[in-house]
Amino acid sequence: MANNNWKNAPGIGMLRRTLFLMAVCGIVSFVLLLGRLYRLQITEHEKYESLAISQQLREAGGSPVRGEICDRNGFPLAVSASVDNVYLSPVEIASNGEDKDLIADRLSEILGIPREEIREKASRKGSWYVTVARKVERETAQRVREFKNECGIRGVRLETDTKRYYPNATLCCHLIGFVGTDNSGLEGIEAQYNAFLEGSAGKTLREVNAYGAELLFEKYAEHVAGTRGCDLVTTIDSTIQYYIEKHLKQAVVDYDVRNGAGAIAMDVDTGAILAMASLGNYDPNDFLAVSEQDQAAVDAAASPEEAAGLLRAFQQRQWRNKALSDTYEPGSTFKIITLSMALDCGAVGMNDAFYCPGQVSVLGRSSPIRCWKDGGHGSQTLTQAVQHSCNAAFVNIGLRVGAERFYEYCDAFGFLRLTDDPDENLSARTGIDLAGESGSIWWSRNTFCSKRNLSQLAAASFGQTFTITPLQLVTAVSACVNGGRLMRPYVVSEIRAPDGTTLVRREPELVRRVISEETSRKVRGILEQVVGDPNEGTGRNASVAGYRIGGKTGTSEKVSLEAATGEKQYIVSFIGFAPADDPKIALLVFLDTPSTETGIYISGGQMAAPLVGKMLTDILPYLGVRPFYSEAEKANMDAVMPHTVGKSLGEAGELIRGAGLRYRTLGEGDAVTAQLPAAYCEIARGTEVILYLGAEMSNEKESVPNLIGMRYNDARDTLSRLGIYIHSLSAVLDGESQCVGTQSLREGALAAHGSVIEVSLLSSDDEMLGRY
Amino acid sequence: MRYDTARLSDFSVLRGEEKKDGVDQIFLILVLILLSCGVIMVLSASFPRASYDPAHVTGGNAAYYFIRQLIFAAAGVGAMLLCSRFPMGFYRRYARHFMALTLLLLALVPFIGVKANGSRRWLGVGSLTLQPSELAKLAVILLFAAMICRRRGRMRSFREGIAPFALILAVIVGLLVLEPHFSASIIILAIGAAMIFLGGAPLGWFAAAFGAAGAALGILLVFFPYASTRVSTWRDPFSSSSNEGYQIVQSLYTIGSGGLGGVGLGASRQKYLYLPEEHNDFIFSVLCEELGFLGAALVLLLFALLILRGYQIALHCRDPFSFLVTAGITTLLALQVFLNVAVVTNLLPCTGISLPLFSYGGTALILQLAEMGIVLSASREIEAV
Repeated sequence: MANNNWKNAPGIGMLRRTLFLMAVCGIVSFVLLLGRLYRLQITEHEKYESLAISQQLREAGGSPVRGEICDRNGFPLAVSASVDNVYLSPVEIASNGEDKDLIADRLSEILGIPREEIREKASRKGSWYVTVARKVERETAQRVREFKNECGIRGVRLETDTKRYYPNATLCCHLIGFVGTDNSGLEGIEAQYNAFLEGSAGKTLREVNAYGAELLFEKYAEHVAGTRGCDLVTTIDSTIQYYIEKHLKQAVVDYDVRNGAGAIAMDVDTGAILAMASLGNYDPNDFLAVSEQDQAAVDAAASPEEAAGLLRAFQQRQWRNKALSDTYEPGSTFKIITLSMALDCGAVGMNDAFYCPGQVSVLGRSSPIRCWKDGGHGSQTLTQAVQHSCNAAFVNIGLRVGAERFYEYCDAFGFLRLTDDPDENLSARTGIDLAGESGSIWWSRNTFCSKRNLSQLAAASFGQTFTITPLQLVTAVSACVNGGRLMRPYVVSEIRAPDGTTLVRREPELVRRVISEETSRKVRGILEQVVGDPNEGTGRNASVAGYRIGGKTGTSEKVSLEAATGEKQYIVSFIGFAPADDPKIALLVFLDTPSTETGIYISGGQMAAPLVGKMLTDILPYLGVRPFYSEAEKANMDAVMPHTVGKSLGEAGELIRGAGLRYRTLGEGDAVTAQLPAAYCEIARGTEVILYLGAEMSNEKESVPNLIGMRYNDARDTLSRLGIYIHSLSAVLDGESQCVGTQSLREGALAAHGSVIEVSLLSSDDEMLGRY
Repeated sequence: MRYDTARLSDFSVLRGEEKKDGVDQIFLILVLILLSCGVIMVLSASFPRASYDPAHVTGGNAAYYFIRQLIFAAAGVGAMLLCSRFPMGFYRRYARHFMALTLLLLALVPFIGVKANGSRRWLGVGSLTLQPSELAKLAVILLFAAMICRRRGRMRSFREGIAPFALILAVIVGLLVLEPHFSASIIILAIGAAMIFLGGAPLGWFAAAFGAAGAALGILLVFFPYASTRVSTWRDPFSSSSNEGYQIVQSLYTIGSGGLGGVGLGASRQKYLYLPEEHNDFIFSVLCEELGFLGAALVLLLFALLILRGYQIALHCRDPFSFLVTAGITTLLALQVFLNVAVVTNLLPCTGISLPLFSYGGTALILQLAEMGIVLSASREIEAV
């Protein structure tokens, strides 16, 4: 070290050390700081600037108006309306010294929310935003505003939001779907087309201080106009949807269906979905609420966790669109496909004969395949084999087609997609514009096409050992009867910009031609005989007077369930189309697990066929299809009660006889003072009505008897003796041989005099009882 | 007054410099420029907080902090001029008394100090408050300078060159720890070390002291979670940007937003309550945002010039006491500027150190200006530079 021997002046060592400090403190440290500043302000400037801006700008603005969904006739299915969210700003309440009790009292009164809950929210420390109520209706929000203004409360705030309304409530809920609290679609069309529907929110960008308040002098604000979402026009026809849901719901009650039911109506030529129903359903306005029965089960749960789990399961179940998401073994309805491919490839001819001994042995199967009819159908034509839904005949037809060709046709019909891997299980979807579509499951090509084992092919010929979705079946059957063109199913036909101009118009999409026009014509002819032939057709219960209907029944047993539990459960179904000569609509109905306790024989022919008949009775006139009644139909169809009150007995008698009815009189007089039933009621032909000639009408009610299984004419007479009348929703072909399948008023219900009970009819032919 | 200025150092004889009349003009002007910038920045940085008044201090008066700082600055300039009038011998004579007074005040703080943010650092009543730790910095410089002068030639021994100084520092730091006041302890230790360093204490002891400090820091980090949290916040402030890291993250946003030219004087967005302590410890961040890299570099350059000038004055002092005090005050100034800017730019872990001549605060500003006045007083005794 240098010289420290100094007297009065700083020594050289001190000066050296000072120079060192001078360099460090005066130069080096500043170079370091400048380098650091250069990095922050120049190199990383943009990063920090954008981070700072993102916290300094506050986006304000309501939610965008969501586009509307309407049916094909323009009837609204989903609409949006402006509502308000009510929130508190506890920091402002505290800083302005506003009365929390007053706020809690009044808001609780207006919004119906517990007082304590509001009090607690208003007392939260350091919070600027606590939601009290979401999506409050206009009138209620107005009352909150009045309270705010009246008491000068700044800590209670409102912000605009939009709310989705489904004007038809449960109608068509699965197709439409619903939106969550943030207005984004969660299910159905709402989810699938969310990007089009949601629009963009209008917003105002403001610079704010750290507490969200505006700056003092600089008032920067940028307004961005919001856009309304696009409107959707769907292929749904709400009237058809209504008819289908009405009858389907009734069927679920009539047959005590345990596991839900579904239906699909498709425009045969275009693949457009006219209606799609799935039960049990829900109200998309309140999609979290479950049915009363389910809610009772939730309430009865032992623990809160169990209750929450149950509730979730019930919600998931009710949101599930069975027609789209369930897969099942179609059973005999699939024979339409086997028939179509066999005719198309020439494996069978219209004049071929099939002999059914009641069972058929198949290579690779230890036991023979039994036909549903013990003893067999004997010798049949091709048409009869289809009419009888004969399994033995269809095994033969399938074997004639051959496994390879069978799979190629299934690929063409959209049931599976062939791949290069022969060991891969096969699957396919229709590609409909809806979320949640399940895929089919088929055996791998190697398994199915084995030369040494034909059992897969044999079973598949009558619709077993594979699973498909109901939608796939309707789509393929539509192709079978529309001239052979497989169409891509769709539900949204048009997307409209907010200004009303068409953004996208969806044209029907031909996937491929599957069978020839000529084959399709033959298939239509044969299937019409399944419904139209009152003696041989297993689908005769679906007939509608005046219309030509084609169709096929199906009864599938849940094989894997039986193997697992021993319990026998069935899915009964019917697929119909009409008019049979030029089909416009294909309609598939399936009932999952009807109860064995209703006394009705569980089969597609006894349950689903009359249901489709009833639906078509409503739908076909609506579609403008003109009925042509045969003489037999005219002779048997229900009559219309004439208006006779005020007329003389003679005149009234003429009118009644002319309408095809009979009458008895009560009282002594010349003129009709009252009548039972009321004028213009449709009632069974030959019913004995009552004409009152001055006598008093009784106000008593009658207990409805059990009509199920009773011949239509007997039921008619039983009821008319009680002053109650009967009307058939099914075609009346022969009142002596058809019996009542379902009745609109149950046994023991009280009915006023003059009531009309609606029934569906079944053929009383015992030959009809079978799982086909 | 009995003070002796006539003796010439070897150096001034060699250079043949003439004794100049009055204070060093360049140093004075630099101080006044920086002070003016500082007061203007207090106005710019503080008016949003003063206006919103979230802590219910200002009553919504936007100029509240500015006017008070203006008064402090005026008082400070008065103090500076006054201090520049006292000859250096005066400071040397009363250095011990000043230290005694400071220690007394420091000892009082833990008992009767005003509590804020969990620490007692202020003495006083109402708005008249005093931070004894600020006094302690000056007291250390003056006393150590006087002690070194008395121990001339004996500084190389531990007994004379280290022990008495270390003892005094230990007492002061001990009192500061009671408050607690971490940043002031660091600065006092550093300035104390700088004084002994200038006084000629053996360098080996410094190496040992740095080693001991490192070890102490290591122990602190391992055993005190508070300290290690600080370090992890320093390493990655964004991982805790809503709590521990909030302040430093906001400071980085503020500084980074400035870019090259800044958003313009008065136009900072971050001062709208995003950045805490924006008119105080973090005033330099607001300056960076408003005036950009260029403005910040200019202010740092002014500080650098002031500091270099301070050392230059020191180097020209003929009296060892004047030399030591001037160099000490300059080092203290440099240390505070560096630590403040390093903290707001996250070069060092966050701790509360104000920026001399800029940060809002009465005691610190008046004392800093008084210190400048002492440097000016020393500058009177030297030849024209």
